[in-house]
Amino acid sequence: MDQNVIKVGDFVIVQRQGYTKLHKLKAHGTLSLGSFTVELDNIVGEKYGATFQMKNFPGNRKLFTLEKVDEMPGITSINIEKSGLDNRNITDDGQSQNLTTEDISKLKSEELNSNSIVEKLINNSKTFNSKTEYSQEKYIKKKEKKYFEYVQIRRPTIRLLATMFYRQDPSKTLGIRIDDLSQILTYSNIQSQGTHLLYDSGTSGLLPAALLHQLGGGSPAHLIHLHPGNECQKSALVAMNFPPEQLNRCINVNLYSVLRCYYQQKETFDDPPASKKMKIEEGAVPKKPNWQMENERACQLLNKGVDSLIIASKEHPNALVSQLAQFLTGGRNLIVFNQSREPLQDLYLHLKEKLDFIHIKIVTNFMRNYQVLANRTHPEVNMTTGGYILTAFKLK
Amino acid sequence: MSFDDYKAVIDEGDTVILYLTISQIYSIRAEAKTLSKKGVEVENVFQTPYGALKCADLIGKPYGSKITLSKGWGYVMQPTPELWTQTLPHRTQIIYTPDISMIILQLEIAPGSIVVESGTGSGSLSHALIRAVKPTGHLYTFDFHKNRVELVREEFAQHGLSDYVTVSQRDVCSSGFGDELENKADSVFLDLPHPWQAIPHTLNVIKETGGRICSFSPCIEQVQKSCEVLSKLGFQEIQTMEVLQTSYSVQTRKLPVLDLDFLKSEKDGTETKGKEREVVKCVTAVPPASMPGHTGYLTFASLPPVWARSLQISLNQAQEDNSPDL
Repeated sequence: MDQNVIKVGDFVIVQRQGYTKLHKLKAHGTLSLGSFTVELDNIVGEKYGATFQMKNFPGNRKLFTLEKVDEMPGITSINIEKSGLDNRNITDDGQSQNLTTEDISKLKSEELNSNSIVEKLINNSKTFNSKTEYSQEKYIKKKEKKYFEYVQIRRPTIRLLATMFYRQDPSKTLGIRIDDLSQILTYSNIQSQGTHLLYDSGTSGLLPAALLHQLGGGSPAHLIHLHPGNECQKSALVAMNFPPEQLNRCINVNLYSVLRCYYQQKETFDDPPASKKMKIEEGAVPKKPNWQMENERACQLLNKGVDSLIIASKEHPNALVSQLAQFLTGGRNLIVFNQSREPLQDLYLHLKEKLDFIHIKIVTNFMRNYQVLANRTHPEVNMTTGGYILTAFKLK
Repeated sequence: MSFDDYKAVIDEGDTVILYLTISQIYSIRAEAKTLSKKGVEVENVFQTPYGALKCADLIGKPYGSKITLSKGWGYVMQPTPELWTQTLPHRTQIIYTPDISMIILQLEIAPGSIVVESGTGSGSLSHALIRAVKPTGHLYTFDFHKNRVELVREEFAQHGLSDYVTVSQRDVCSSGFGDELENKADSVFLDLPHPWQAIPHTLNVIKETGGRICSFSPCIEQVQKSCEVLSKLGFQEIQTMEVLQTSYSVQTRKLPVLDLDFLKSEKDGTETKGKEREVVKCVTAVPPASMPGHTGYLTFASLPPVWARSLQISLNQAQEDNSPDL
C-alpha cells in the first residue's frame, strides 16, 4: 500500500500554523484543536503533506469539517491604506477595537476565513492606520494566526515529535531538547549494526524511537530498552508507524525483571544450544508469558555485550552506570543525559576513580533560533535551556 | 578499513585513534610502512610527547586497550565520525559535532536515506552522514576543488566506506547536481559561499515525495539571501538556528574557612596555637576560559511533496504580499 496515503489507524500530526498535535486516526473520529472540534473523515485516503480548509459545520458552532484545497483562491493581500511613523499617539486603553468578543465569535461561526475576519478587525480598529508598517504586519500575522482556517496533515518524524513534546512540556522528555537528542545519537555512535542498551525513565518513548530510527529497517541491529515501570512509555515509538520487523528489534523490558533474569538464570543463555533443546522439550508445558520471553531475549543479547549504553534517568546515574556498564563492550561509548549538572559531576568523579573509563566529558548547549526577515533579522525573543550530557569511552 | 561496523581488534591498514590525554588525541594508521614527504617508503613511526610509537605494533591489539610508550602510555580507540572530526587533517574550515548532530536530526537522515552534500571540504560531516545512511542509503558529495575531491575519496577508501559514498568534482552553483540524481534525494546539505545560487537546483534532486534541506553559513547576510530564495521557491518550515557547545571540567576545589569568632574575646595567645585551618571541599564544573562563540547559522527548510508544492508557493506569496514594502 502506498506509504504516502493517510489511512485509518495511522498516527498523524495535525499542524495549524506553528501548532502541532499528534493524533491516532480512527474511523469517524474528531480532534480538538484549540477551541475548534474538527471532523477528520475527509483526510482518509488523501496524501500526507496535503492542506485542508476548516469549514463550518451547519448547526454546530464549534464543529468543523475538513475540505482538501489544491489552491488558495481566497488569498488576497489585505489593503493597507495608511501607516503611521511611530507610536507616539497610540495608547493602550482597551478601546481601540469596536467589535465585541461576541461579534468576533459570531464572525468565526458564520465562516472561518482568516482573511475576511482580519479585514473586519482592521476596519473596526481605531488605531490600525496610525500603527507603523512593521507593527501593522505584526498585527495581521497575530490575528491571522488566531483565525487561520488551514491545517496540514504530516507524517510523524523524530524531528516533529521532539519539537512538539518539548513545546508542550519539557518534562515529557525528561528535559531532552532537540539538540540534546541529536548529540545523544551521535556520541553513542549508533548505526545500523550492533546491540544498544538504553535505560529511559520516561521520555514519552522519544529516546527509544529516535534510536530505533537510527538502527534502520531490515538491519541486524537491536535496541534493549530498559524501563522502571510495568509498561514503558510508548507515545513516540508507536507514533513513528515503524514496520513490525523494526519495532520487534526494540526489546522493551523492565529493569528489575531483566536483571533478575540475568543474574538468576544465567546458565540458560550462556549456552544457546541447550536452551534450544529446552524449548523443544517444553512443547507440552504452558507457554511462557511474553514478558519472560522478552527478558530472555534481552539477556542473550546482554550476555554478548552491547555497543553503546545510553542512560536518561530521573534516578541518580551512579548506581545505574555501576550496574549496567558491565554489559558495555570495551572500546565503546557511555552516554548519560541529565537535566541538571550535579548528578553528572558525581558520575564524573565516580568514573575517574574506577579507571576503566577515559575521555570523560560533560557538555551543555546554547541553542537559539533566529527571526530572519529583510531589515529585521535578530535572535528570537524567547529561548529555552537544555540539559547536560556526559560521554565516556570504556577501556578493554 | 575501521569506520564500518564495530570492531574488536586492530587490523593492518586500520585508522586508529591514539588517546593520550583529553586534549592530545591523534589519528594514525596501523601500517608498517608509510611514504615520507619526499615520497620514499619509510618505517611508519608516530612521535608522541611520551615517546615514539611503531604503528605496525598496533596490529592485533584490541580496541580500547592500553599501549605502552617509552615515557608513558596511551590508549587505542576505534575511530568514530566524532573522533575523526577531532583529529582529521584540515584542508578547509570544518563542521563540528554539535552542528553535525543537529544537521542529521533535522534532515531526518536514517539508514536508507539518499543524501546530497556540497561542498565536501575535509569530509568532517561526510563521515557522520555515511554512518547514518549505511548500508542501504548513499551519500553523493560534491566539491569544486579537484585536489580535495581526490584526497577525500582516498580517505573514504582507506576507511572502508567507498560503497556508501560517491565523490564528484562539480560546481553545483553553476551546473546543478546532474541528471542522474533527479528526484533521488531525501535531503540536501549546502555549505557554500553563495548557497542561494545552488538552492534552485535542489528542486530537481529532492524526491517527489518531498525532502529536507540545510544550508550552513557563517554570515547572517548569506542566511537572509538564502531564506528569501527558499521562501520564493515554496519551501516551508524555514528555520534558522545556532548551536554552541560548552564543555565543563569537573574540579574539586578546597576553600579555606575563616574563623573570626576569636576576635570577640581578648587576646590570650592561644588563638592560633594547635588549630588546623578548616577547609571546605567543593565539587564544581568549570567552563573553559574561552570557547567558540560562533560557528555558523544552520538554516533548515522542507520541500513539500509535489502534490502540495504549488499550494505552498501561493501561501508563501500571500504572506509576502501582506508584508509592507521594505
